[in-house]
Amino acid sequence: MLKRCFEMFFLLGLVTLCLGCGKERVASPGPDMAAVRELREALGKESSSDEKVEEKAVGTGWASLKGQFVFTGTVGAPKALVVDKDMAVCSKDGMQLFEQSLVVDDSSNGLANVVIFLRKSSRVKNEKSAEKPVFDQKNCEFMTPVFAARVGQDIDVKNSDPIGHNTNISGSSFNQLIPAGDSTVFTPGRETGLPVSVTCNIHPWMKAYAVFREDGYVAVSSDTGTFEIPDLPAGEPLEFQVWHERATGRSGALNLDQPKLQWNSKGRFKITLKENEERDLGTLEIPADAISG
Amino acid sequence: MNNVIAYRSVTSTLVRTKTSNVLVVLCGICIPFVAAGCGQTPAASFRLNLVESSKQRLTSSQEQQVATILTALFGTPDEPLAPPEIGLDGAKLKLAAGPVRSDIVGRKNGLYREHCAHCHGVTGDGMGPTAAFLNPYPRDYRPGVFKFKSTERADKPTHDDLVMVLRNGLAGSSMPSFALLSDAKIEALAEYVKYLSIRGEVELSLMRAYFELDDEDQGVLPQSREFLFEEIIDPVSEMWAVADDAIIDVPDMPSGLDMVASIAKGKELFYGNKANCVKCHGVSGLGDGQANDYDDWNKVVFQAHKTVEGAAEQAGKASTWEMSAEERDEYRGELAWLDRFETVLDGNALRPRTIRPRNLRQGVYRGGMRPLDLYYRIHAGINGAPMPAAKGTVPPEEIWDIVNYIRSLPYDFNGTLGADRPMAARDRM
Repeated sequence: MLKRCFEMFFLLGLVTLCLGCGKERVASPGPDMAAVRELREALGKESSSDEKVEEKAVGTGWASLKGQFVFTGTVGAPKALVVDKDMAVCSKDGMQLFEQSLVVDDSSNGLANVVIFLRKSSRVKNEKSAEKPVFDQKNCEFMTPVFAARVGQDIDVKNSDPIGHNTNISGSSFNQLIPAGDSTVFTPGRETGLPVSVTCNIHPWMKAYAVFREDGYVAVSSDTGTFEIPDLPAGEPLEFQVWHERATGRSGALNLDQPKLQWNSKGRFKITLKENEERDLGTLEIPADAISG
Repeated sequence: MNNVIAYRSVTSTLVRTKTSNVLVVLCGICIPFVAAGCGQTPAASFRLNLVESSKQRLTSSQEQQVATILTALFGTPDEPLAPPEIGLDGAKLKLAAGPVRSDIVGRKNGLYREHCAHCHGVTGDGMGPTAAFLNPYPRDYRPGVFKFKSTERADKPTHDDLVMVLRNGLAGSSMPSFALLSDAKIEALAEYVKYLSIRGEVELSLMRAYFELDDEDQGVLPQSREFLFEEIIDPVSEMWAVADDAIIDVPDMPSGLDMVASIAKGKELFYGNKANCVKCHGVSGLGDGQANDYDDWNKVVFQAHKTVEGAAEQAGKASTWEMSAEERDEYRGELAWLDRFETVLDGNALRPRTIRPRNLRQGVYRGGMRPLDLYYRIHAGINGAPMPAAKGTVPPEEIWDIVNYIRSLPYDFNGTLGADRPMAARDRM
């Protein structure tokens, strides 16, 4: 009996030895201590001067940019959403909700809901408009799958359903109950890099995206894939970011083969517009492999 | 004496056979190893947020740059630094930081590691050695989001909010009360939590800033004072500085309130389309209405798992056959990234868990049981959790009605109040 115990003990010890202590973690890369000292010194020296280097506006006048995103791949049948709550409203008269992650126009193959925005602007033509854009939800669906607005602009977050919803905009700490038929105001306080997701926690299938830009130079492609951004600063290099929910690039960056526009793997392209120019990029073809299946 | 005899008989039985002989020798080799453990414990160091860095696809030199900037600004767990601009008290941090030690009789340093680090981790990432065994998981301070506070949803907690959590603990979770610690110690710990949180949020901002770089920057973040402070640190530390101004203004519960009517009104709101509490807290208030959602901390890991799965599927479809040398290199890079991300999720993150809306029949409330605490929770929702804010769409007096109804639920029988409530034990006697 004691021998058994001893053997067991030995086996246990052997197993411990083989497994080592605890789960293997990926080691965290440490700092470069020489660089740390250098940086500390540099930060200590650099006085916090009040004079900021303003970004210089080099060009004058304004121009606009437009184009059309066209999907060249084949579009599968849209996925049906699993609706298991508030059936009386959410699947009224046998209505079925579908995922809206890839909306392609039947006749033109235009891809809707592509976001395009200017990364940095040296100057802005238009002040924030006083009108409130509406972000609505009806039949347990967000009416704007991709919503764009300007930082500091009041948005009317509305609920047109006879049931309650909540609107949860990630990254903003905005998560508000919206009673049936009611509305509330959301004012984005800071810019989003890429679009952030908007959900309703009560009805988890509801999903949309929102993008907020300081200068308002942002467009979401229409049902036919067209977009237009007016009043852009002319005479200076502009860099645009392009995004789509299902793009295969990093965090949804849309990568197109457009060497003339210096389109890169982060889904960005560069262009300089002349004063009063109305540049049309024509059709921008999106191949099947740029969108995840 | 008996022991010695017993010991001898054990060894004699063991050496009786040859296999046992071998066993004894092996055992002799084995035991010292097991006893000594695996090598020396390394000095405590902050761990990088590898889930975020993997998500952002940072290269190893970029990860090192983040570690370098963070160390230059915030120091190490043994010697924390706080740039004066963020307004933290260095003396308090010193008391809380470092290994547990004492230089003056009766005064102890290293409070964080003595009381907090085993659950919240040295980095404040909520991944101390005991974390995986706790439900709910300990809070990860790094996103700078705190649930139980007196401020509006998007705002930071006040210093007093943190002190209150330390003093009272969080009922229904593993967070104990530290009421036995002196005020000075609790103050020091609250300050240190702020320090870890600001550090963690700065780390997240730095990691996300790589995506925003222009081509000319060649993947290296600028290290100027202007960039580090104005773009990265100030937006975080300012939020902490203004927390006191964001305390929710709570109107008094209407005086001379008819409690029975208020509870009935609250019930109506609970089940109605206005407050909609029933959707998550369930028809019976047991917290069983909606359990397939995630809070913000778990969602990050859950979504990372989905990203890895999706990318692996995509990578599986690719055929190396048709690739040019360049594309193949890229493809290999993708596979290496995927492989590391998977290991990170396995070893450097906790398994994501779905939410548990509060069971309102138990009368246990994490953020405190005062009517005021419940008012805060309903007014502002719970930051980081799916619980939305009722502010703005539900007027204050109705929030009070809901509070009163919630407070009646643990004493409520069969969902109806009054008549069918069971007789209290002492009345039956």
